[in-house]
Amino acid sequence: MRFIFYGGKGGVGKTTCAAAFALASSAAATLGRVLIVSTDPAHSLGDALGLRLSPAPRRIRRQLDAVELDARRAFARWLRENRRALGEILEHGTWLDAADVDTLLDLSFPGIDELVGLMEIDRFARRGQYDVIVVDTAPTGHTLRLLAAPETVGVVAGVLDALQDEHRVIRDQLARVRRGPEAADRLIARLGAQATQIASWLRDRRRTSFRWVTLPEMLSVDESLDAFRALERAGLHVDEVVVNRLLPSARPCPLCDRRRVEEQKALGVIRRRLGGRRRLRLIPADVKEPRGVRPLAALGRVMTDGSTQLTRRPPTAARAPANTRQTQTIAPEALTAIRGASLIFFGGKGGVGKTTVAAATALRMARAAPERRILLLSTDPAHSLSDVLEAPASDEPAIIRRGPPNLRVREIDAPRALAAKRAELEAALTEIASAIGQGALGTGADRAAELMHLAPPGIDELFGIVSVIDARADYDAIVVDTAPTGHALRLLELPDAAREWVQALLRVLLKYRGLMRPGELAQELVAVAKSIRQLQALLRDRTQTRFITVTRAAETPLLETERLLRRLRRLGLSTPAVIANALTDNAGACVRCRTVAAAEHQSLAALRRTLQRPGRRSEECAIIQAPLVAPPPTGVVALERWAGRWKLELRT
Amino acid sequence: MFILDSLLIGSLRFVLDKVVQAAEAEMQDDSALRDQLLEAQMRLELGEITDEEFAETERDILAAIREIKRPQQGAISMSPTDKITGVDIDTFES
Repeated sequence: MRFIFYGGKGGVGKTTCAAAFALASSAAATLGRVLIVSTDPAHSLGDALGLRLSPAPRRIRRQLDAVELDARRAFARWLRENRRALGEILEHGTWLDAADVDTLLDLSFPGIDELVGLMEIDRFARRGQYDVIVVDTAPTGHTLRLLAAPETVGVVAGVLDALQDEHRVIRDQLARVRRGPEAADRLIARLGAQATQIASWLRDRRRTSFRWVTLPEMLSVDESLDAFRALERAGLHVDEVVVNRLLPSARPCPLCDRRRVEEQKALGVIRRRLGGRRRLRLIPADVKEPRGVRPLAALGRVMTDGSTQLTRRPPTAARAPANTRQTQTIAPEALTAIRGASLIFFGGKGGVGKTTVAAATALRMARAAPERRILLLSTDPAHSLSDVLEAPASDEPAIIRRGPPNLRVREIDAPRALAAKRAELEAALTEIASAIGQGALGTGADRAAELMHLAPPGIDELFGIVSVIDARADYDAIVVDTAPTGHALRLLELPDAAREWVQALLRVLLKYRGLMRPGELAQELVAVAKSIRQLQALLRDRTQTRFITVTRAAETPLLETERLLRRLRRLGLSTPAVIANALTDNAGACVRCRTVAAAEHQSLAALRRTLQRPGRRSEECAIIQAPLVAPPPTGVVALERWAGRWKLELRT
Repeated sequence: MFILDSLLIGSLRFVLDKVVQAAEAEMQDDSALRDQLLEAQMRLELGEITDEEFAETERDILAAIREIKRPQQGAISMSPTDKITGVDIDTFES
């Protein structure tokens, strides 16, 4: 049994590469029976293959099955199977009664995707139906959390063990005849063993291979360097680097040539810093995004033997790109979608340019209104604000060099924030523990405090929300650069989940107030509940809060954009604009640019139809076109200049 | 049965400690009232009481806390030679 993980920044083509590789290996029958698994909560494996996938494996080729995990469902199933044992541990180890325990177990857990992801992969591995499991992971930051999940599960097993310990002592003392372990003991042992086992196969180089996908762009390379360091610290080894979408050589074109120069620079850094003894695969860019089983299988052949040419015919579609749409050049701060808002989220699929767009907007907003205090906040654990701004950014809000003095920039460092709040949280844990009957006797709280040494899944979203709440007092407007789709949605759904948690704890404290005075913890919880309530109201206040969706004019990002918009509207958020980023305008005579531009215009037309589809509870949603520039805009000056070239589509 | 004994004694001491704490709290300052206020806030967050009910409770509790605070702030002073021989209780409706 072997595991092959494909990781990388959002939008670099992880899914494409993972699927292409799996298809090619199944065709060549080199690996045996293969399962390809997507762990990104915003799945795109089905979109890439052009097939409908589900949490149950679907046969897509001989020797190849595909599956898109549904972490919440998987966790619900696990809970059903283990509910009794888990309930018993909590009842034995605390003075919570069955009803309390039920309420707690029914709450939703914010980091469940990462926690359950590896356990599910392990479950498929144990079935013995596959020889290789290929994993298409979520964008960088959250994959790092996924890979740390076994340690978290280990700690959870330890907490449960501490809770069960007392019961065990009493049971052994009272029972004359020594009985075997109970279901609860078996559950604890199984969890602990599974955590250890997964942690060990992840680090076993003969069994597990990490392949890192990157684009030949400096932003992508910078993020890869950070991720390599984090992976190595965790004892995980990357053995292959895939450089995706290299422009093939062609006739001179000002835009393509500038991009090629950039690519060579990036490729040099990749060879020097990421290469070493790792396999390096270079994959040429196709004019059309490879989508569907056959194009992906063709790409897979290029990846595995490198001999086949990717596009058999050179692109000939020199159709004049017909951009008939009337547009108007408009500065970001003047857009109706931005004006008057005090909380603006930028989100979308990985790699569409969320950070670049968010940074450019924040810069222009701050310049246009020097009296307003603006905060640009990144909640993506794989930050790229400092790379885009070419200025150091940290957890401490700071002015950036050459930036407007009324703009502060902050990249949330959740593990650091967690460590800083450690004393407070430990005190709270002890108080919770004594409220539920653990303080006087047990050690459950001490074990739970171990979680603070790790960065448990869900922590990024939690501190993201906390920072937004805290920053409200100090700033007139907050611009949030979110993590890619799946986790951005999780961030926005968090206040609801957090409020349920806080209420459940308040209920427990009230119930046992005779035994335990509701002290500081209760005061704190009341305060937290209040600020969550305010945030919930703020998020749904259309005059204050806006979600701007960033996308590319290509098939897969548009499919995800459509789903994202639906979810956002269901959450009650205002979605007044979509920014179509990196559009090839002024294609000139270059065949490649003209072909790409023509495809983009088709995609834009499809986007317009989606946004204006009758029957949609329609809120006006503007389309803003942002041009592709080479090299991509980084640094204050280039970003501001670039934002001056955005165009608003006018309604006809 | 050493372990069982220590568990029992430990638990007993824990419960007794709590009883003593509760009794002390009751006698001293305004902390019982503050607890009541906190409890009302908790119930408000849980949706068990309405904003109006909370406002009413809060008004009563704050009035009671002011009542306790008043003599401590020295509004009424007694000389060391004064002796209290009896207490008349009046209720005020404000």
